[in-house]
Amino acid sequence: MQLRNSHTRWGVIAKGFHWIIALAVAAMLALGWWAHSLPYSALKVDVFWVHKSLGILVLITMVLRLGWRLVNPAPPLPTDLKAWERAAAHLTHYGLYLLLLAMPVSGWVINSAANFPLTVFGWFDVPAIAPPDDDLKELASTVHWVLAWSIIAVVALHVAAALKHHFLLKDDVLRRMLPFARLGGKANSE
Amino acid sequence: MSYRWLIALAACLLAAPGLSQATEWTIDHAGSRLGFEATQSGAAFDGEFEEFSAVMRFDPENLDQALFDVTVDVTSFDSSSSDRDSTVAGKEWFWFKRFPEARFVTTEFRALGGDRYEAVGDLTIKGIGRQIVLPFAWIIDGDQATMQGDVTLNRTDFKVGEGDWAKGKTVGLQVDVKVRLALKRS
Repeated sequence: MQLRNSHTRWGVIAKGFHWIIALAVAAMLALGWWAHSLPYSALKVDVFWVHKSLGILVLITMVLRLGWRLVNPAPPLPTDLKAWERAAAHLTHYGLYLLLLAMPVSGWVINSAANFPLTVFGWFDVPAIAPPDDDLKELASTVHWVLAWSIIAVVALHVAAALKHHFLLKDDVLRRMLPFARLGGKANSE
Repeated sequence: MSYRWLIALAACLLAAPGLSQATEWTIDHAGSRLGFEATQSGAAFDGEFEEFSAVMRFDPENLDQALFDVTVDVTSFDSSSSDRDSTVAGKEWFWFKRFPEARFVTTEFRALGGDRYEAVGDLTIKGIGRQIVLPFAWIIDGDQATMQGDVTLNRTDFKVGEGDWAKGKTVGLQVDVKVRLALKRS
């Protein structure tokens, strides 16, 4: 078990960040859609509260994750990738980082513009980042919705690419991010 | 009727206000606020009732004659949140259509020492009357005065927030009412 990334695989910390965020994103999409579909009620407010609390934690985790990524270089991509595949991989990864930062921030703006107070699971209070403003709330809600679909689209691409690496190219790109997998694909890393 | 009768009658009329009435005060709305603080999902928010009017009769030397008769336009509920402000209009909350006004009428005053007093009175919200005790400070400065009172209410005593809202998990049951009045002698 290695905490830091190596030349051939992701370290425990990077894997932890990846899979925690993956689970959180799935939970957030489900909670968000459920809350949105409910009629106005105490339950709706409660479900949104869990959604908002988790969202702030996702934002904090993403900031830590990017910090870790900056001080701890990623294992290189396989050397036999074509230029466009490299470009697509980088674009997808950086796009996801950006989306996963913008998504909680847009939610935070909605909550602030609605002038709802926020405490993360009752552990700590989160200040407002925007003044009460209905127009801003509508705008941020639209952005939040567009970002949700963007995340779904980019994650679909990300998963498809991982599966392609694993089953078609038979390399270690997926395996090196899996929690307990052994490397054993084609030795095509640099 | 003799002149003597008329003079006696006039003397009574002139003397009456000074004898039997405590001083009447007018609220200066620019310097006054009927605010509240409560919690939502465990975090505090605040707001105010923008419209209210009151008969304020108060003289520290004559508490027997004191009277607060306050009428609050509950539809002026403003917590700077259109979601919340529209929610409380509903039947489960204040039910604006049926109960647009709340009222507080005092029945008794007690001196607590210094500038501190308490008013016992009936508070009616959403058609439900409850006796409450409002402790307050009343500070007179010439023809002006300030009144500061705080009281904590349980909103379910007045059925404000019914059904699932009455559980207090989503929106706290306790509401701190904060009265800040600037007054002028009428």
